[in-house]
Amino acid sequence: MDIAPHTPDVGPVDVLPLVRLAGVTKRFGQVLANDDISLSIMPGRIKALLGENGAGKSTLMAMLAGRFEPDAGHIEVAGKPVAFASSRQAIAAGIGMVYQHFMLVEDMSVAENVLLGQAGGFFLDPAQMRATVGELAARFGLGIDPAARVGDLSMGERQRVEILKLLHRKSRVLIFDEPTAVLTPGETAALFDALRSMSAQGKAIVFISHKLEEVLSVADEIAVLRRGRIEGEFLAADVTSPADLARRMVGRDVLLDVHRDPVPPGPLVLAVRDLSLQGANLSGPALLDHVSFDLRQGEVLAVVGVAGNGQQQLVETVCGLSRPESGQVELLGHGWDEFHKYHDWDGALAWVPEDRAGLATCRSLDLTDNMLLTTREGFSRGMWLDRARARTAAREIVREHNVQPGRIGLQAWQLSGGNLQKFVLGRELRRRPRLLVAEQPTQGLDISATEAVWQRLLEARKSMGVLLVTGDLAEALQLADRILVLYRGRVMGLFPASDSGQVERIGALMAGLS
Amino acid sequence: MGWGAPVVYLCALALSLGLCALMLILAGKPALGGLFMLFRGAFGQGHSLLDALIKAIPIFLCSLGVALCFRMQIWNIGAEGQFALGAVGATWAALTFGTLPGVVLLPQMFLSALVLGALWGLIPAVLRLRLGVNEIISSLMLNYVGILVLEYLVFGAWKDPASFGFPMTSEFPPAALIARIWPGWLGKLHWGLIACPLAGVAYSVFLNRTRLGFELAACGEGERVARYARLPYGFLVLLVMGLGGALSGLAGSIETSATLGRLQPTLMVGYGYTAIVVAWLARLKPWPIAFTAFLLAALRVGVEAMQLELQIPAAFGQIMEGAILLCVLAGQFFLAYSVSLKRPRTGPPAQVAEARP
Repeated sequence: MDIAPHTPDVGPVDVLPLVRLAGVTKRFGQVLANDDISLSIMPGRIKALLGENGAGKSTLMAMLAGRFEPDAGHIEVAGKPVAFASSRQAIAAGIGMVYQHFMLVEDMSVAENVLLGQAGGFFLDPAQMRATVGELAARFGLGIDPAARVGDLSMGERQRVEILKLLHRKSRVLIFDEPTAVLTPGETAALFDALRSMSAQGKAIVFISHKLEEVLSVADEIAVLRRGRIEGEFLAADVTSPADLARRMVGRDVLLDVHRDPVPPGPLVLAVRDLSLQGANLSGPALLDHVSFDLRQGEVLAVVGVAGNGQQQLVETVCGLSRPESGQVELLGHGWDEFHKYHDWDGALAWVPEDRAGLATCRSLDLTDNMLLTTREGFSRGMWLDRARARTAAREIVREHNVQPGRIGLQAWQLSGGNLQKFVLGRELRRRPRLLVAEQPTQGLDISATEAVWQRLLEARKSMGVLLVTGDLAEALQLADRILVLYRGRVMGLFPASDSGQVERIGALMAGLS
Repeated sequence: MGWGAPVVYLCALALSLGLCALMLILAGKPALGGLFMLFRGAFGQGHSLLDALIKAIPIFLCSLGVALCFRMQIWNIGAEGQFALGAVGATWAALTFGTLPGVVLLPQMFLSALVLGALWGLIPAVLRLRLGVNEIISSLMLNYVGILVLEYLVFGAWKDPASFGFPMTSEFPPAALIARIWPGWLGKLHWGLIACPLAGVAYSVFLNRTRLGFELAACGEGERVARYARLPYGFLVLLVMGLGGALSGLAGSIETSATLGRLQPTLMVGYGYTAIVVAWLARLKPWPIAFTAFLLAALRVGVEAMQLELQIPAAFGQIMEGAILLCVLAGQFFLAYSVSLKRPRTGPPAQVAEARP
């Protein structure tokens, strides 16, 4: 099948777009979060913005909602260029956003929340307020009791209150940021009905998601965002293959080529057998479903998949944060309990988490202390900590990994994401692990930092096994010896990266089609 | 922080003094004269400086205790109650083993004060770890309980039969009193002072040189980081609350033994709360804690003098303490943010209060 490559304006030609983004660009330091993005948002249409975490969706919508200003390009509302200095101005221009975290007063009723700060006169008329809100809800098919207390409502109902707030403020463009993340399947279906009802009444809907099936079931138009660029834009009706959509979302264009020496496989460092995890939601689908794989020294095993398909649970289980519910996890020849109980700081397991600023480092500690965070056992004698030796070691990491600016007295927040990541990787490699877990190691990094991290990971595999969890297919293809595809906690495929036939099918596997 | 910090702190101090002057005027007292009296009362004579130093001892020790907890973002507001329990512990030892010689009795008193203070600090820690109870509320509530325990004993079992019904224990035997350093020259200044440098050095060595001290600072960044780095979070919460309570308890025992020589409710004058103000103003660092503890102690002495001369209510000192804290905290906003004016949107985009965290 063929999808027309990047047709910028897909709406009917005779209708003026409500909102148009023209060449919008936004940089954060070295990182290009949005690169020359042009989009038209049409009345009566549901536009889905599909992309992985870190693809730039949130930045783009934050500019629409008035929280950032673009560095280049501009935003037009009803044909006129606007520059929002605050989210209030964006709301006044008819652009409203439903965030993942609701902003509601729990002790007030639905009607009071909707009309908060809106009611006209000095005196309030509760019956009138309830009638107004009830009528609005009925018009857009949002079933809700206007008199109910918000604190008693489910997440799906609270979301409806947020939507009603926007509708009452006469928003013409409604942006939904990952709206289904907090919903049950039934609530999701109800939300989609409401979205269709709103769009039928002329509202423009923007639906941000990384879930393929949802996007395909609700959207009229789909724009795929990857690494800050529009990767493709098409009518949902033209999409015949979700697999192709998935492939576009995770991409496989080679940004840069890294040199890889073949490394002979060594001993087994990680063996996962039939690992299953149900999680807190007992009636829902399993988070991990009979996952099995091996990892040897000398290889990189890439776990790919759309975010939220069990990667996090797998990493947390391997790294010792959550105990396997059923099945076995063997690390360096030891059972899970034994290994994590007598965990050595070096020569064992190291973890480079996705959240390098909030989890891997402490923002207000300096680089020496941040190095000590996971290596402190190596720098202590009894109860005493040898800070002088730690400073020397931190300086070595900074020099070897070219961390800029290279002063170890700096606090973690003063480093850019790329330099912080190089530092974290340096720290974890210093522990000489036999098993390294790297989660989204290059997310949000510029090209040169990405290349540096890739080189290090490839070198590192000579003395360890690397479990690479990534949402970026290009990265997986560059680094991995073998690729494992996860979908809804299940292993959809496990094959050598050199198997070009299977590699072609990765998109389909990620979309759950086998 | 740069050169801006001293300027901001001076401005905050000036602003809080201005507020106090305003209150004096409202109370119908001479504003400048009152502030002058305050200053002279605090720093004017040798004996007032000594008095401030004596008052600074318990404030400093309690402040180190709460600062230790604040380091890992455990909000121990319970120094006042831990102080009371320390006093109770010391009194128990003094009344029970009163016949022993001083070299045995004083360590006994300190030890029981340390233990009781630590236990009082451990209650909120255990509640937080086991039941998820907010330690701010539980430690604050335990202050009132602690003071009531003290009063219960003083009004009841430990009341001196010879006190004509006044709530106080009998005077401690001489062996249970901390001696004065040099009564001829240094007035009431007592040997309890040396607990301060000892505790201060231990505090900074613990935080800067030991592994536990480092782990404690890292834990201050949150439980998720603690889990990632395999830090013993629960153990550290117990440790800092125990140590913090012990330091406040020690302060209580020193104050009872050295300045009162018996246990009575007038012991509780709010040093435990002042300690919180001190710890915040000093940003949890030992030298600034010492300096700030002395300053706020001097403020107390100065207000006492002003109180006598101008007939001002005793609460005025606490109002001033609060005003200083609020002004400095408000001033810290200007250290973290810079203000720039926002013009109408015609020229280049203007920026408002850009964060410089």
